[in-house]
Amino acid sequence: MWARWIVPALLGLVSFVTAKSSSGNSVLVILEPKLDKDNFSKFFSGLEEKGYELTFRAPKDTKPAILEYDYAQFSHVIMFAPETKSFSSDITPQSLVSLLSKNTNLLIALSPKQTPVYTLASEFSLTLPPPGTPLISHFPQRDDPATVIPVPVRPVTPNVVSSKLAPVWFSGIPFAYQNNPLLVPILNAPAESFASDGETDSGADAVVDAADKGGEGLWAGSQMGLVAGFQPVGGARATWVGGVEMFSDEFFQKELPGGGKPGNEQFAADVAAWTFQESLVLRIDSVEHHRVNETVPGQVYTTNDQLVFSAYLSKYNPVSSAWEPFSGIQDMQLEFTMLDPHIRTALPPVRGTPGKYSVTFRAPDRHGVFKFIIDYKRKGLTHLHSSTVVPLVPPRHDGYPRFLSAAWPYYVGAISTSVGFLLFSALWLAGDDRAGSAKGKTTKTE
Amino acid sequence: MRSFLACLLPLLAIGNVYASALTLQSPRFTISASDATQLRSEPLSTTKKPSALTLGAKDVLKVTFQVVEEEGKGVQPHQTFLRFYDEVSGEEGIQPVRVTAGGKAKFELNMAKPPASLPPTTASDPLKVELIIGSFVHSPLKMDLFDLFLPASQPAPQHPDEPSFHVRSEIHHTFQPDPKLPPKFISAVFAALVLAPWVVLLGLWGFISPSVPHLLSPSILPFIATLGAFEGLLFWYWVDLKLGQVLLYGAILSIPTLIAGNQALSTMGKWRAGRK
Amino acid sequence: MAPSKTSQPTQSNAVLSLWKAYNENTSTRLKSVDAFLVFLMLSGIAQFLYCILVTNYPFNAFLAGFASCVGQFVLTASLRAQVNPQNRSEFKEVSPERAFADFALGSIVLHFFVYNFLG
Repeated sequence: MWARWIVPALLGLVSFVTAKSSSGNSVLVILEPKLDKDNFSKFFSGLEEKGYELTFRAPKDTKPAILEYDYAQFSHVIMFAPETKSFSSDITPQSLVSLLSKNTNLLIALSPKQTPVYTLASEFSLTLPPPGTPLISHFPQRDDPATVIPVPVRPVTPNVVSSKLAPVWFSGIPFAYQNNPLLVPILNAPAESFASDGETDSGADAVVDAADKGGEGLWAGSQMGLVAGFQPVGGARATWVGGVEMFSDEFFQKELPGGGKPGNEQFAADVAAWTFQESLVLRIDSVEHHRVNETVPGQVYTTNDQLVFSAYLSKYNPVSSAWEPFSGIQDMQLEFTMLDPHIRTALPPVRGTPGKYSVTFRAPDRHGVFKFIIDYKRKGLTHLHSSTVVPLVPPRHDGYPRFLSAAWPYYVGAISTSVGFLLFSALWLAGDDRAGSAKGKTTKTE
Repeated sequence: MRSFLACLLPLLAIGNVYASALTLQSPRFTISASDATQLRSEPLSTTKKPSALTLGAKDVLKVTFQVVEEEGKGVQPHQTFLRFYDEVSGEEGIQPVRVTAGGKAKFELNMAKPPASLPPTTASDPLKVELIIGSFVHSPLKMDLFDLFLPASQPAPQHPDEPSFHVRSEIHHTFQPDPKLPPKFISAVFAALVLAPWVVLLGLWGFISPSVPHLLSPSILPFIATLGAFEGLLFWYWVDLKLGQVLLYGAILSIPTLIAGNQALSTMGKWRAGRK
Repeated sequence: MAPSKTSQPTQSNAVLSLWKAYNENTSTRLKSVDAFLVFLMLSGIAQFLYCILVTNYPFNAFLAGFASCVGQFVLTASLRAQVNPQNRSEFKEVSPERAFADFALGSIVLHFFVYNFLG
């Protein structure tokens, strides 16, 4: 039980500054020289107000490096270098992927130009369109060019961005999702949009011809993504954005065609919050198991025992920078597995104890080495895994039911043999020997 | 990025001047069977959707129309797409329509060779079909055409890990049933049956009536008593004791038993020898 | 005895004469042993019938109860054989007292195993 408070206490000691993110507050921003830092002043100052420390560098700079002696130097990396063709030696697709396994979060922006970052996107199960084909949409009718598009925010993955956001301005490329459940779609393209390099109506034939080409064919429709996250098992998150302008001050303030402010500022803040592991971050504090009427976990359990399994869950609260017990998961499941799950049952929250989830079930009547497995994965949330090994043994020789009514005749038989033996011995020992009683029924002793 | 936007501004200015609306002239659809017999042919109206269309596995759907601007002149817009959308599953497919320079468009859907962009369909849910027309110089046009029922297709392929991201079906272990006990009355009857031989035994012994002259003799009685104690210890072991305890008590009890037994049997031997 | 005319009376005559010979030639002591043997046999048969007809569910209990009858029968039969004066020539070095001591020890050990297994 003491493990439940020592982990939050240690975390509290480590983060003296109220870090908003659960994984640290040092951010490296790789900003290409073509982009001016002041163009993104609202976005960056928003991050700094939350408590992040931003360090800026150009793609070709060698310092500060993202990895030094195989240790990640920053907790988060923002790559706003969509048109840079060559990077310094420490930024390679392999080093960026290895950052994810070191619990460093990534926010990467793309552009219609093909750069080394393109090869990295396919590692994340994203297919990019041919270079030079930005996303355009003729809808809604507006004064801006066709490549600057107001995109309605539909909740593709729940809870990642705030609900009821105004449409956001977007300019950049779409991407196609490959079949990978680790992808977390955040913003999808409008249904009428498509990727094309055309600038006049005479490009209509080219659009139709592109569809006849093999492969993906026509890049169109709401199945394309504009902002997508990727949540691998380790816990770090990576977000891909189709264009860097949606974080710019200009797009934060640009008026929508129907009037009103766009939702870019709030959207950018929400995307950064999810990517930097502020929101939707869960963890299992501890698990415990014991028999029904006991509190101490057993070393071994017997088949057909009634077992109780409990898990304690916390969710990170960015406002108070603390892990708080969380009872909001209604569909968690527990598996009791030996090679294959023998039992899969719901693990509901316990009323009255925040953060505790508990279930009572009967152990199977097969003996062996079993595992309690929690494997909770949902799009947008950190994946929860827990595995506890426990042996299950058959009943001991005196663990079976005794004194059954079905065995009364046998009990009577055994006892009557004992009593009979006793009486017979008494008769034998107390009686005469054979020497004087050869004949007849009764003999008198002399 | 700024320079890219600046390049487009002049085009934008031109576009604004000519932001006229587009309309469809004589839109019509035709469903014909594989042997070219016409099953259904109706004009499409912009105000009212026709009743839902149904295509069989080998039928052909043809949609024809002409894109005209306000003066009636045919134009070729930049984007002419047909959008097939399943509202229930959320699947979508976009199919471009080739438009001539004069604005004439013809779209053909042959179910015997369906295009790859068609979304997966179920037999019960229709696809909503929309026409999307976009242009750099004209106002865009979006029109709901009709609902379309297609034969069911293969569902979209699922990643093998996909089920672990949703609630999975519960697994209950089928336990071996508890062994059934017979009614207690039957067991009691048979218990009485097992007691019945006592009647026979006591009857026979009574009939034989062996004599027991030495029953209370001080050399015999202790042995009988210790044998009785042993049986009692074993009964106690069955009810309550553990193995270690019964072995310990048994070892302790065996000492007086051996002494009493020795005494009893040697006495009996003397008597037997004395008789002879 | 004169030979009888039919076979049936011969058979029943044989049984009767066997019975008569047994009655006359067996000592009281041995007869009480035989009574005990009959008792054990009946008790074992009753338990066996219960096992077949009704249930063998606590099979360990059936084995324990049945084995107690069978084992005790074997021990008692061997006591009778050793103690019978007509078998004196076979068992020269075993006195009747020694035979009873073996019988008692064997019975105690048998009962220990029976109660262990009875459940």
